[in-house]
Amino acid sequence: METFKLLAPLAWRNLWRNPRRTIITLFVVSVGLWSILAVASFISAWAQSSRDATLRLLIAQGQIHAVGYMDDPNISNLMPPPDEALVAALDTSGISNWVARLELPGVVQSEYKTLPVSLVGVDPEAERRISSIPSKIVEGRYLDGPEDDSAVIGLNLAKRLKTALGRRVILMVTAEDGWLEERSFDVVGIYDADTAFEDTYIFTGRRPMQAMVGVGDKIAQIAFEVPEDAALAGVVERLRAAAPTLDVREWRKISLIMGAMDATMGGVVFIWMAVMMVMISIGVINTQLMAVFERTHEFGLLRALGFKSRHVLLLVTFESVLLIGLGVLIGMIAGAATVWGLSDGIDLSAFGKALEAFKAGDTLYLEVNPIDYIIFPLAIWALGVVVALWPAYRAQKISPVEAMRQAT
Amino acid sequence: MKPIVSCRGITKVFGKGELAVHALRGIDLDIMEGDFATLAGPSGSGKTTLLNMVGALDHPTAGEVAIDGQPLSGMSKSALSDLRLNKIGFIFQAYNLVPVLSARENVEFVLRLLRVEPAERRRRADEALAEVGLQGMEGRRPSALSGGQQQRVAIARALVARPRIVLADEPTANLDSTTTKELVDLMYRLNQESGITFLIGTHDPRVMEHSKRHIEMNDGQIESDTRG
Repeated sequence: METFKLLAPLAWRNLWRNPRRTIITLFVVSVGLWSILAVASFISAWAQSSRDATLRLLIAQGQIHAVGYMDDPNISNLMPPPDEALVAALDTSGISNWVARLELPGVVQSEYKTLPVSLVGVDPEAERRISSIPSKIVEGRYLDGPEDDSAVIGLNLAKRLKTALGRRVILMVTAEDGWLEERSFDVVGIYDADTAFEDTYIFTGRRPMQAMVGVGDKIAQIAFEVPEDAALAGVVERLRAAAPTLDVREWRKISLIMGAMDATMGGVVFIWMAVMMVMISIGVINTQLMAVFERTHEFGLLRALGFKSRHVLLLVTFESVLLIGLGVLIGMIAGAATVWGLSDGIDLSAFGKALEAFKAGDTLYLEVNPIDYIIFPLAIWALGVVVALWPAYRAQKISPVEAMRQAT
Repeated sequence: MKPIVSCRGITKVFGKGELAVHALRGIDLDIMEGDFATLAGPSGSGKTTLLNMVGALDHPTAGEVAIDGQPLSGMSKSALSDLRLNKIGFIFQAYNLVPVLSARENVEFVLRLLRVEPAERRRRADEALAEVGLQGMEGRRPSALSGGQQQRVAIARALVARPRIVLADEPTANLDSTTTKELVDLMYRLNQESGITFLIGTHDPRVMEHSKRHIEMNDGQIESDTRG
């Protein structure tokens, strides 16, 4: 304790012997940490927005299928409607909404073109609670009810088919008996999502589609939504227990690309952190080495007066602890202030089309993640102090007589 | 009187082979309790090297140095630090104060290392500063003191822990004649009044005038050792 009382004030004053150098180092450390925190918040918000936007289209947080459907989504891999046990599990707390759909691969044909699509038979009322498609109608209307035998198609698909609202398209799907069944549908609505989605999905009422392919009340999937992603694993476990013969999956296992993107987003933050840490390390080593070399004589003087080599090591290390600690504190305040300043959301609507590929919403909402404000500052502080041990070690090794000789 | 410093056959060689420089060539020397001795000689004669040996800052190539009867050979770096702290006071030519500490803090520094209680530390530091004529300047940083005042602070720091011997290497080299006289008078008075032993490396005749014992060095050897 006495050593701390001796060295801490000395270390603090030593920091301000060269204010410009100290301020530059503080700038490097604080801007580095600020950028890590800001990038982490931005990427986290972007990932969240992108994930939410994509999941809200069709996938939801999880789905239930017959075993084999995910590998081969054809008519032979459908499932019966949920039994009482599964409905009870779906209606319990933890699941905010769920919906049953029939989804089968098919072909759409206009007067000009024939294209492969996925035909989705839905219950429009339930879809409004779980999917964003009903709110993305840009022409016409969404489906009226499960009996509605009209079609809602994507904007880009309409362009490719050279069809339009009020015209008819032919949909062909393999039926239960193995024959190709075809029917004409009125296009009553056109939706605007991302291009790939628009090209793939055509929506109609679930019952007309079930009748068309002759599957009775069979469905292809139950999509469910949970309010908190953290609760998803528990919900999936409960559903698996309620429907042991079905395939219950969370979204990461349904859309592998999205799962990979979700993991990659975290990786980007760590790559950015690694780059910043290298820069900070170089800055800290440079500063502390200069500070040590400039004070070679002084270390010799202190050693001559009775300072031990470990005191020199501790003194230089204290200086690093204070310097980096102060930089980290400033960086944390700046990071939190930035996120707080942008808490009303970053409006990206001007870049709407350019950002469509990223599937993010028009507004990003940044949030302070408390864990980030513990892990990143501690990591930078610890690394800074560790790299500064080298200059401290060099200072410790300076022989008093050599140090005194250098100055005279 | 018993010797505070005892040097026997001290040799110091820097470098090796053809580049070897023999800085000290078999020095035998005793500095007695209460001595006010000057160590003189031309540049390169070995004054500073000898002071470094006596100050436990450097090891001789051969021979033995003992401080207060305690041989230095075989002592660890940490033990040598303790010995310097407890028994030796240093006054250097220049750059000899810690610039971020005030005059009082510079003097207190040695007492802090000795773990003296804060109140006692402050009392002794202020007393030492008053003794060298710096009453009222305790809070000033070195940059706000003249060269002479800085050297007085260094003297106060060297004396505050009541060392067995004070080693001074060219303490007046950067000072004007008036300040030099004041400082030499001060060191001499402290030697007379407190009985503290001084060994002063110098080629300044104004310092030598006061010495009770004059050691002349040349080419790494003691050429003469006279008491006046």
